[in-house]
Amino acid sequence: MSEQKQLLIIDDDPDFAEGIKSILVKANYKVDMAHNPKEGWAALEKKKYDLLLLDVMMGRGAEGIMIARKLGKDAKLREMPVLIITSIREQMAFLFPGAAVHPNFVDVDELVEKPVEPKLLLDKVSTLLKLSETKKKK
Amino acid sequence: MSTTVSFRQEIANLLHAVEGNPVNACMQCGTCSGTCPVGDFMDVRPQRLIRMIDAGLKDKVMATRAFWYCASCYQCTVRCPRGIDIAELMYGLKRYTIWRNQYPEDLIGPAFSETFVKNIVRTGRSYEPVLATSYFFTLGLKEMLAEAQNATMLMLKGRLPVLPARIKRLENFKRMIKRIIPIGD
Repeated sequence: MSEQKQLLIIDDDPDFAEGIKSILVKANYKVDMAHNPKEGWAALEKKKYDLLLLDVMMGRGAEGIMIARKLGKDAKLREMPVLIITSIREQMAFLFPGAAVHPNFVDVDELVEKPVEPKLLLDKVSTLLKLSETKKKK
Repeated sequence: MSTTVSFRQEIANLLHAVEGNPVNACMQCGTCSGTCPVGDFMDVRPQRLIRMIDAGLKDKVMATRAFWYCASCYQCTVRCPRGIDIAELMYGLKRYTIWRNQYPEDLIGPAFSETFVKNIVRTGRSYEPVLATSYFFTLGLKEMLAEAQNATMLMLKGRLPVLPARIKRLENFKRMIKRIIPIGD
C-alpha cells in the first residue's frame, strides 16, 4: 500500500462531504468531491478512482441510485467498489416503516447510514479497497 | 477544486437536471411575482426569493414559507423573460427543506405531500377523503364544519368517491414503484 488511493465523493450536502473528506484525507487517501450527479459522472469518466462514496437523495430524487445502476452497466466502471452513505430513512421516513433499506433495490457493495462514525467509515473504506484489490489480482 | 460551496451553488446543484437558466440569470423584473396567483399569500414573493438565494441568505430563505404556498401553476416559468424554471425552483426548495427536516412545524404542505405519496404507493390512486384528513384537523371549528358540509354535498352528487378506487394489476404497479423509489419493506 505505497501509493495513495483515489476516492471520489458525490454528495449534494457540502458540509457533510467536507466532513467526510477531512476524515479520509487524514487517513491518507486522496479525495475528490462532486456536488451533483452530473458533475460526479463527468469526474468518473475522466479519471480513474479506486472507490466511490455515493449519496442517494440528490437533485430530483433518488439520483444516487441512478448512478449506481449506470455504473453496473458500464464495463469499465463496474469493477469499482461503491460505498453508499445515506440518510434516506430520515429524509423520507414515512416510506420506511422500520425495515432494512432497499434490500434488492440496487447492487451496491456496502451501505452506511448518516450520521456515520469516522472509525466505521474508515473500516468500511479499507475493507472495500482490499476486497477490490484481491479481486483484481485473481 | 474550490472547497466551499455557496448557497446559490447548492441550489444550482439541486436543479442540475432542470432545463432553463440558472437562478443568477434573474434580472429582477418582477414578472413572476406579478403573475403569481398565490403571491398575495406568500411572505416573500418569488422575485425577492430569487434575489435572496442569489445573495446567499440561506437562513432567511430556509425560514420563509413562500415556496410551500406555490400552487405549481407554472405561470412564472412560462412568463419568465430570462427562462428560469421558477416553479421547479420552488419544488427544489421544498425537497431541500424536507430532506434536511428544516421546514416550519405548522405547515400543511409536507403532511399533505406525505399522505399523497403514501396513498399512491399503496393503492395506485389518490383517495380524497384520506388526503383531506391530513390537514382537516388543523382547521378551526367553523372551517371544519364548512369543509364537512362541502364534502357531503360532493359525495351526494357523486363527485367524491365513498370507497377508494382500485387499479388493475396493483402488484405490477407496486413493483414499478419499487424500481423508482427506494422503499423499505
